[in-house]
Amino acid sequence: MIVLILPALILIGFIFGYPILRYIWISFHTSSVANGLIPQFNHGINWSRLINDARFWQDVLQTSRFAFVSVSLELVLAIAIALFLNQPFKGKGIIRAVSILPWALPTTIMALGWRWIFNSPYGPIDRIYNNLTGESLNLLSNPKITWIATVIADTWKTTPFIALIILAGLQTIPKDLYEAFELEGGTQFKALYKITLPMIIPYILISVVFRLAQAFGVFDLIQVMTSGGPAGSTESLGLYAYLNAMRFLDFGYSSTIMLGSFVLLIMGCLTVYCIFKMTKISIQK
Amino acid sequence: MTSLRKYLYGLIAVLIMSSWLIVSLAADQNTVKVNILMPAPFDDSTREIIRQFNKENQRKIEVNITRGPRETEAVSDLAISSLILGKSPYDAILMDVTWLPKYVEAGWLTPLDEWFTTNEISKVEEGAQRGNTYKGVLYRWPLVADIGMLYWRTDLMKKPPDTPYELVEISKELQKEGKVKYGYVWQGRQYEGLSCVFLEVITGFGGEWIDENGKVQLNENSNIRAVTWMNNLIKEGVTPKSVTNFSEPEALQSFKSGNAAFMRNWPYAWKELQKADSKVKGKVGVSTMVAENKENKTATLGSWGLAITKSSIHQNEVAEVIKYLTNEDSQRKLYSEFGYTPTASKVFNDYADSEENGILNNLRISLSASKPRPMVAAYAQISDILQRHLSAIFTDSKDVKKEIYKAQENTEKVMISAGIYKK
Amino acid sequence: MKNSTRKIFISIILFWSLSPLIWQIYTSFSTPASLTEPIGTTLNRWTLDNYIQVLSANPSIFRYITNSTLLGVYTTLTTLLLAVPASYALIKLRKELRSLTRSILLLTALFPYVLLFLALLELAKSYNLANNLFLLSLPYSALSMPLAILILSSSLNDIPIELEEAAKMEGLNLLQRLRVVLLPLMKPALSSTSILVFIFSWNEYPIALTWLSKTEQLTLPVAIARLAGSSVYSVPYGAYAAATVIGAIPLLMVTLVFQKQIVNGLTQGALKG
Repeated sequence: MIVLILPALILIGFIFGYPILRYIWISFHTSSVANGLIPQFNHGINWSRLINDARFWQDVLQTSRFAFVSVSLELVLAIAIALFLNQPFKGKGIIRAVSILPWALPTTIMALGWRWIFNSPYGPIDRIYNNLTGESLNLLSNPKITWIATVIADTWKTTPFIALIILAGLQTIPKDLYEAFELEGGTQFKALYKITLPMIIPYILISVVFRLAQAFGVFDLIQVMTSGGPAGSTESLGLYAYLNAMRFLDFGYSSTIMLGSFVLLIMGCLTVYCIFKMTKISIQK
Repeated sequence: MTSLRKYLYGLIAVLIMSSWLIVSLAADQNTVKVNILMPAPFDDSTREIIRQFNKENQRKIEVNITRGPRETEAVSDLAISSLILGKSPYDAILMDVTWLPKYVEAGWLTPLDEWFTTNEISKVEEGAQRGNTYKGVLYRWPLVADIGMLYWRTDLMKKPPDTPYELVEISKELQKEGKVKYGYVWQGRQYEGLSCVFLEVITGFGGEWIDENGKVQLNENSNIRAVTWMNNLIKEGVTPKSVTNFSEPEALQSFKSGNAAFMRNWPYAWKELQKADSKVKGKVGVSTMVAENKENKTATLGSWGLAITKSSIHQNEVAEVIKYLTNEDSQRKLYSEFGYTPTASKVFNDYADSEENGILNNLRISLSASKPRPMVAAYAQISDILQRHLSAIFTDSKDVKKEIYKAQENTEKVMISAGIYKK
Repeated sequence: MKNSTRKIFISIILFWSLSPLIWQIYTSFSTPASLTEPIGTTLNRWTLDNYIQVLSANPSIFRYITNSTLLGVYTTLTTLLLAVPASYALIKLRKELRSLTRSILLLTALFPYVLLFLALLELAKSYNLANNLFLLSLPYSALSMPLAILILSSSLNDIPIELEEAAKMEGLNLLQRLRVVLLPLMKPALSSTSILVFIFSWNEYPIALTWLSKTEQLTLPVAIARLAGSSVYSVPYGAYAAATVIGAIPLLMVTLVFQKQIVNGLTQGALKG
């Protein structure tokens, strides 16, 4: 039996395991354009640089902000859409197909589209804002609000994904549970709290953890839409690591950034997981 | 059903086979194939010259141009990823002036001394000789010279301003009279163009970015005065707020439609401004960027040049191609058809009194005062740092002095960790 | 829910999902001059120039679409080839071993794989793996393997064990059992997995960005992103839009045709997680 599963596990182990080991090794070396990209042991300079790197910590905050805000927004919208799609009505298939379109299209394609839509002064959003207020919104060149544009683009793309998973959860709830609840005199609204939400918590949990991890690694969307600007206000950890590797040719530091992000991500996911575990228990009580 | 499935399997098998076939059939002939990576606009402009070369050298050398992306940074990303991967598919790369130190330090380029003698170098206009060598060795041969210029409206003033204060004064007056909406448009987005603008302005105020010993000098007083001046342009409305979203096309668009009295841009803009859809056709002059003292006037050097990759196995042939692409005939063609600034002194001389001169004489003056951006391997990093902090000042109304000091600190950190200098 | 509220809800969903796409289509048919006046009327609003420009580019956009399709097919085949036996083995493993393997798979499925690109790039360099679509399908398969195994094993779990036992009694070996009994029953899960893996590999960006440097080998997302930059001369938004519209069509079709499989795949993957 083991023989059958080994090829798959070896491939997975190699593609996921090798990079991590390699990063650990190279993060203790200088491997940059300054020394012709030949790794030299450097006593952990990369790590002390990382800890003192204000830009890294700014990116940690920005990436977390992006991840938390977009995932929360997506979750709320997704629950609403899933509840809606869970009802029987005509033309449901078409609605469902249309709503998963954003998820299926390549991120880079739509990131380019969003850049044009949010463009100032020629994009439609800026035009409408301009007509209403007489001012330009400058959505992509104002460090205080540009990140919101990236959140909108991400929400547009991944809400359907969460909605479908939650929809699957909704479909596992037996109908008679609701009937019994109604017989006992509970209202529809109360049923939502007492039955629906507790039953779909596992689905919410899995999709939130999955989406948080993915959003934390956001790269394509940011690179194409804003390239991390303005004033670095949308730069994500993935982009910072990419820039260090491909543009600054500093492999040692790039690896350190990736490992550092990975460690922070695990800590973050564990925290979220624990919080959810606790709330789940309290809801069931 | 089963037949359909069989058909599908068959189709997939054919797909796989055919793609392998294409790979293995990679052509192998006697002609030497030379592959050059160029940004998309240069692919367009050199096409005719390349065609001519291939015709003249039939069966001996065949040049193929790989059309890169349009954006400078994206071309660099593409070149770097292929160079990191080892066997680069390119024999030569058309490079921006700022990439040189990084590529040389990474060991990707071949010195060109073997093919280009001091005699040949001396034929190149002095300003265009800059930015081709690193640590005293020639690695790049210039295809076009490119420098930042101040465009001004001949219908609105008699002569261009010399100092930053004159520029502001004229702008405000014209704006007050309602002759233009804005005074001065430039490139203020967070990207490399902002670093180019910065270098011209700080030099004009007597400041420096990195001195000849490799020391970071950002926190000098003159730099802070220079950036404050730039910031005030936006604050006082001489420059539109949206300049922080401007790269070259947006600035050109604004100036071309008659909205501004001054523009900072590269020489290509001249030809664009003479086109039929330009509202300022025939009303534009160019000059070197303003400075507090005449001696400090400068133009950021932004030239493109060809470099041979170390992995190329046909280096002699590549050098031959580069010589052809950059000879005086090609320069004349590129100038007369596309407005690219020549590099040979002779070409400048030939056009000196000709009707086709356009702005060439002005360009020559600016070129002689031109200045390359810091020639250090970590340039991409330090420029990135600078852009972030400048962008923070212009878009986020951060304190000038504080941000410049931060830029100084961060640049020093990078220079130290890159091993370029010890504090 | 009342009919009218439902209608409002439907229109909101449709508007939200489709308006960015429609705006792209609208832009792609607009002349450069009219783009500066996107709302409101200008003369000579419509043009096909953007499409002509994109289609006449060299290499053509169809080259990138072909590359992405080939890569998708390779990845899907490799993934299934390894994931089917693996998922069979997984459900036959001892309970503790099974749940351990499953948790590991789940963890790798959650991993933000963008963080792997640098080491994969170095691998490509050391072993000369770059610029080859077939070899690129190997890391892609590894990245989609966890989800594939989870979906497939959950569908195998639903097949009554008696069916396979009966086949065993008749003397069929493992390969025959798979072909005759199990695979036909797994068909819905197989098609869901294939389509999800295909979409993943079609859309993947960071690794393709670093593994492919030859223009004629690029996949669609990388080629499109490369379009994004502007030159000093102009910002050809109309042409971008036309390219994105053409680039979106293949997956648009795939999604509409296979929406049921996509939905099933996503929900099953989540269910057993």
